[in-house]
Amino acid sequence: MKSNAVRKMSVAGSLLAASVTVALSTASAQPALQEGGGALKDRRIGYVMTHKYWAVYETEGAKTECPQGFNDGPREQFKKLFDDGKKRSIVEAQLKREGEQWHPTTEPESFVFKEAQGNVSYGLNLDGKIGPEDFTSPEGEKGIDNQLYRVIGCIGHYRTMGTINHFENLFMRSYDDTRIVIELTEVDDLKNDDSVVVTTYRGGDGLLQDATGEGFIPGGTQRIDLRWGKEYVSKLKGKIVDGVLITEPADRVMLPWGVTFGTSGYHVFRGFQLKLKLDPEAAEGLMAGFVDVKAFNHHLNTSWSTHHHSYGQLSSPSQYKAMMRLADGYPDPKTGKNTAISSAVKVKFTQVYVKQPEQKELVSKQ
Amino acid sequence: MKRLRWLLSAALLVGAGVSQATLAASGPYWQSKDSKDVEAYVKVPMPPGIQVIQTELEGPVFATAEGKTIYTWPLGGLRNGNAGDRRNSGVSSCDDTIYKETTGYMSPYPPGFLLPELDKRRSCEQLWPPVLAPADAKPVGKWTTIKRKNGQMQWAYDGYPVYTSDLDKKPGDVYGGTNALAGGAQGIVRRPIGPPADVPPELDIVPFRTGRMITTYKGFSVYTSDADEPGKSHCTGKCLSDWDPVIAPQTAKPKGDWSVVERSPGIKQWAFRGMPLYTYVHETKGRAMTGSDNPGWHNVYTQRALPPPAEFTVQDSRIGQVLADKDGKTIYIYQCNDDALDQQTCDHPDSPQVYRMAICGNFDPQVCQATFPYVKASPGAKADSSLWTVETIDPNTGKWAKPGDPGAIHVWTYRKRPVYTYGDDLKPGDANGDNYGEFNGQRNGFRAFWLRDDYRNNNLGRAPSDR
Repeated sequence: MKSNAVRKMSVAGSLLAASVTVALSTASAQPALQEGGGALKDRRIGYVMTHKYWAVYETEGAKTECPQGFNDGPREQFKKLFDDGKKRSIVEAQLKREGEQWHPTTEPESFVFKEAQGNVSYGLNLDGKIGPEDFTSPEGEKGIDNQLYRVIGCIGHYRTMGTINHFENLFMRSYDDTRIVIELTEVDDLKNDDSVVVTTYRGGDGLLQDATGEGFIPGGTQRIDLRWGKEYVSKLKGKIVDGVLITEPADRVMLPWGVTFGTSGYHVFRGFQLKLKLDPEAAEGLMAGFVDVKAFNHHLNTSWSTHHHSYGQLSSPSQYKAMMRLADGYPDPKTGKNTAISSAVKVKFTQVYVKQPEQKELVSKQ
Repeated sequence: MKRLRWLLSAALLVGAGVSQATLAASGPYWQSKDSKDVEAYVKVPMPPGIQVIQTELEGPVFATAEGKTIYTWPLGGLRNGNAGDRRNSGVSSCDDTIYKETTGYMSPYPPGFLLPELDKRRSCEQLWPPVLAPADAKPVGKWTTIKRKNGQMQWAYDGYPVYTSDLDKKPGDVYGGTNALAGGAQGIVRRPIGPPADVPPELDIVPFRTGRMITTYKGFSVYTSDADEPGKSHCTGKCLSDWDPVIAPQTAKPKGDWSVVERSPGIKQWAFRGMPLYTYVHETKGRAMTGSDNPGWHNVYTQRALPPPAEFTVQDSRIGQVLADKDGKTIYIYQCNDDALDQQTCDHPDSPQVYRMAICGNFDPQVCQATFPYVKASPGAKADSSLWTVETIDPNTGKWAKPGDPGAIHVWTYRKRPVYTYGDDLKPGDANGDNYGEFNGQRNGFRAFWLRDDYRNNNLGRAPSDR
């Protein structure tokens, strides 16, 4: 059969291999990019996300930001609560903890939560102000809003060697439903352009990985999913200054963020902004915005089990309390309490050609 | 407020002309109640008293002389240990022990916690009565015997001891377990067994909740075309750039539902119930349904389940289509296995409800009913499908009730388990309650009733063979 030789099926048992082979089979490579921006055609250029990390500023040994060490996770907290020799029922222990995880409160708990210290953090100035709680970027920019860093900076899960960083990127590369694509249009010059439009999409194809499996090759194709993924389409206004794309805040941007087997979650950012250094083959920088605390917690719990949280000492109930305490945006009109927290994600993209779907009648839409 | 937002979004969709109420029964996922389609199977030697009966969801299954479906409990790995019967060990792990404590097999929680409702807990053997064999029983085909701890002889099939389920009450009931794909990190569950499907080696069957779909042996979906006619393919020329005929070997012979179409001299194509079979060349994922988006092309099933409640709908969601109630709210199934060595299910109103109550409401039944409300039904309502029935529930305890009991409500159940919607689904197609619960909702939690998933190989997690 003519095409079966290149058609591969990704199943759990061969996840990594599948991600590579699917990538090579489905995203057809284009001719090599021309020097000087050959990928910019018809004033358009597309990029697909290859790396994403919740932005955590790390010093050697975490001595500056986590002088008291890292937070406890589910196993450590469970031991502190229940390892006293007393016989308990599953309702009094395991199910109690799960109930608290799925229905968290802001009530104080017996555990001490270790917030990240210092005033240096990655992120963007989301509110245009310089406030007392704001950070300064490593490059010296003041007014950085990233209170999520205070929460997650001393949770092993989110740090460079943490499990979320590893697995979120592994699954993002393995599963096409997590494919985040941006397309820049109305681009006259990739170095300086005072008005461009950025559209976010979900792509439907694998990534082109290089022979090492660590790098990504520009020039692939991403077919855009406007059927199931229409909620992931957002338009942003922006400009390019000295090769850096900066977008204006967009009220609401939804991005696919499915992770492990059988999950297909998403994140919603309010006041979403991009700051990306562009070149014809890649883009790298930050995406930032306010994440709704309850939605973030919901994503965490529905995407990762308590078992997975334990990999990186992430206590979901403790994190929720800290997020609510440090939330700095989108106050509830009734209570006045902030519902969202400023955040930033370090991201890398590689260039792709964006292919819009053919407009044809689909039987399953009838 | 949520209710208001829901109504507003539904009204906007209707106003915009969006078909948010595609009635489920008219969709491609089920067969008409008048359909006679059933899966053919290979006749295998069986001991006296064992029979094969046809079931709506599982296809042909082995059953006892009384018609009770037969199950096995294959050994499987959990995070910290294994449970189930080891193949060809000659031993049944399902005995009269009443386990009192958790095993700690499911990370991260340690063992040794007391199980709920211990005063009512039954043994594995009570819930899963062994299918006993006469003392002088002789092996027949794949059927052999093992000796139980109490000296009784028990039938085994393919090296695994066999059981019935106390949840099954009449012939055709398969409430003890299902082969339909249900997600990865379940407990070690029991599965109904039956004779092999009568399928050529180039093809295979995938068990979905809506039916038994035919794929190639590599897992790619096969399709038929309305442009063809029985025994004749009209897919030539340009058609072949989209559709690959499923090639049959030179030695292929027609048998039962299967026939061979000679496309050109020496090139043979498999046909099912007369219709030539193809794969869709643009599909890169297994078990897909994207080919059926082309008018006149259809996925192929040996048999499909009958339609769900008539008022239910199908909605587009973020990775495919979900089953939804009449208002477009996604339907959820609750899955649960406990952490005892005998891996009892806790997804059924007969079982302890504290597992579900912990997840949906931190033990508060009122919160539960807001987070995951039951799908209410009219008393006496009926679906074409035997899998969907109306039952009476006490929402405060989660247990069965009698009609007229104070506070009792009538709810839709799927395989005798209540189904739910999710309070924070705010518009048709939202599936925000998916993966809600322990181990992404697979171990003690809620999963959306996915009908089609274009991204994850339509497997809703992992297939049994992927373990």
